[in-house]
Amino acid sequence: MNDADVSKQIQQMVRFIRQEAEEKGNEISVSAEEEFNIEKLQLVEAEKKKIRQEYERKEKQVEIRKKIEYSMQLNASRLTVLQAQDDLVSSMKEAAGKELLNVVHDHHGYRKLLKELIVQSLLRLKEPAVLLRCRKDDLGLVESVLDSAKLEYAEKANVHPPDILVDTIVYLPPAPSHHHAHGPFCSGGVVLASRDGKIVCENTLDARLDVVFRKKLPEIRKWLFGQFAA
Amino acid sequence: MDRAELTTEQVLKRDIPWETYMTTKLITGTCLQLLRRYDNRSESYRAQLLDDDGPAYIRVFVSILRDITKEETVEYVLALIDEMLTANPKRARLFHDKSLANEDTYEPFLRLLWRGNWFIREKSCKILSHIISARPKAREGIISNGEASYSKSKLTTIDDVLKGLVEWLCAQLKAPSHPTSGVPTAISCLSTLLREPLVRSSFVQADGVKLLVPLISPASTQQSIQLLYETCLCVWLLSYYEPAVEYLGTTRTLPRLVEVVKGSTKEKVVRVIALTLKNLLTKGTFGAQMVDLGLPQIVQSLKAQAWSDEDLLDTLNQLEVGLKDNIKRLSSFDKYKQEVLLGHLDWSPMHKDPVFWRDNITNFEENDFQIICVLIMILDTSGD
Repeated sequence: MNDADVSKQIQQMVRFIRQEAEEKGNEISVSAEEEFNIEKLQLVEAEKKKIRQEYERKEKQVEIRKKIEYSMQLNASRLTVLQAQDDLVSSMKEAAGKELLNVVHDHHGYRKLLKELIVQSLLRLKEPAVLLRCRKDDLGLVESVLDSAKLEYAEKANVHPPDILVDTIVYLPPAPSHHHAHGPFCSGGVVLASRDGKIVCENTLDARLDVVFRKKLPEIRKWLFGQFAA
Repeated sequence: MDRAELTTEQVLKRDIPWETYMTTKLITGTCLQLLRRYDNRSESYRAQLLDDDGPAYIRVFVSILRDITKEETVEYVLALIDEMLTANPKRARLFHDKSLANEDTYEPFLRLLWRGNWFIREKSCKILSHIISARPKAREGIISNGEASYSKSKLTTIDDVLKGLVEWLCAQLKAPSHPTSGVPTAISCLSTLLREPLVRSSFVQADGVKLLVPLISPASTQQSIQLLYETCLCVWLLSYYEPAVEYLGTTRTLPRLVEVVKGSTKEKVVRVIALTLKNLLTKGTFGAQMVDLGLPQIVQSLKAQAWSDEDLLDTLNQLEVGLKDNIKRLSSFDKYKQEVLLGHLDWSPMHKDPVFWRDNITNFEENDFQIICVLIMILDTSGD
């Protein structure tokens, strides 16, 4: 083999080794690039997931806050409605109270009413001796019906006519007026008590108004508010 | 002269009448000047010229290829470029110089892929892949947009280039224009191009994966070993791309790979196939198939051979561990029980693994040997 052949062979070998090395180098570079891509993708996905979770949490918080706000508002408005209903009902009662004053002016009717109130109280108390208290203005009317009331009670209850003592020292307060707007008042009627004062039957017009009002309240509310009555 | 066996050296021995071209206005005066300066000089001289004003020479070459159709001239210029790139592959970057932004540097090569003799086509393919690989990478994922931003609509975009090239490569694999070097050229080109995600997707879409499969067979001669290596390189690159992996699952690639790796003595072939198998192990049913094909034993025997590459040893170890995990997972007793009770007995790995039987023998006793009874029943009634 001469020099030319030898050098040619050496060159071939060099070329071969170089090619093998380049191929391996290429493989290493490809592996590295692909691994980098995979890793990067994983990191990005992980971070994205974290951010997504963060924002989901925030969204949930906002949702909760909204719900709380809503229910607070709802409650507040419900209270307002209830308050308004209550106010309306109270004003009605007040109006009714004012109307009561007119009852008193009809002397004939009021007289009859007083008698019946007294009888009713007597029937309730079932005491042989009672104490009666009325307004100063009504004293005359009361005394005029006292006897017939006693007799009516005795008949109905089948007992002896009771002994009614009218209190002329302490009277029920007078009718409400502008001067005593916030003071105690009485629109009419009587208060009966047993002699020892332990059992009391309040049959004033105001008390009766209260009773009626309380009894009829459901019906009143239904009339006023229809389906909105709570 | 037999055109098919033309070599670069032979082509460069020609004397091209550049002056005539100038008189017929096919090339400009500057072109002629540059050509005369470059032509027939030594490599070191040329290196200097290219360092000084590389893009200008590129422009000359490209315009000649575009405007002149005479075969000998085209071959000559292609040979010049080929020689230039072989001496220093980094020169491919010159094609992407900003001064050439208005020139369509891809177009002539793309066109020449489809016409002319084999020399022209082969060289165009080689040069084109060099140019493509050397293109400047903008921020990841915006590569194609970067190209489009400074190319006007009449210039070929990189997407079109890649699609065109992949098309040509697939055509070559199906019906090579040249009996012996058609396929090797195509595979060689693919093994560099398939590094890019764009190329991978075009290739899979163009149904090219199945064209690679027949090339995976044990090789003995020098050339066929190189071809086998590059084909396996392509498969490895594709195994990083999900759609390709699905595709590979439907073809009979895996048995072929195992067959090759069993018998091969060439380190680089074994290396690439081992890397491919490592990638495929965790995906789909490949793991089970590998165990079926007896890969664990093959890996054992491969490890016993003295390879000089420690990376290869690493990969083989990883494969071994991965396969063991797979077997364990597939051999769970519950799965076996389920198969028996459903009556769907299949020859999956656990049926044949003696370790499985040894470990799980006591489990058969549960429920009054229920499993055994069912098995007996199946054996009685089934004719399979």
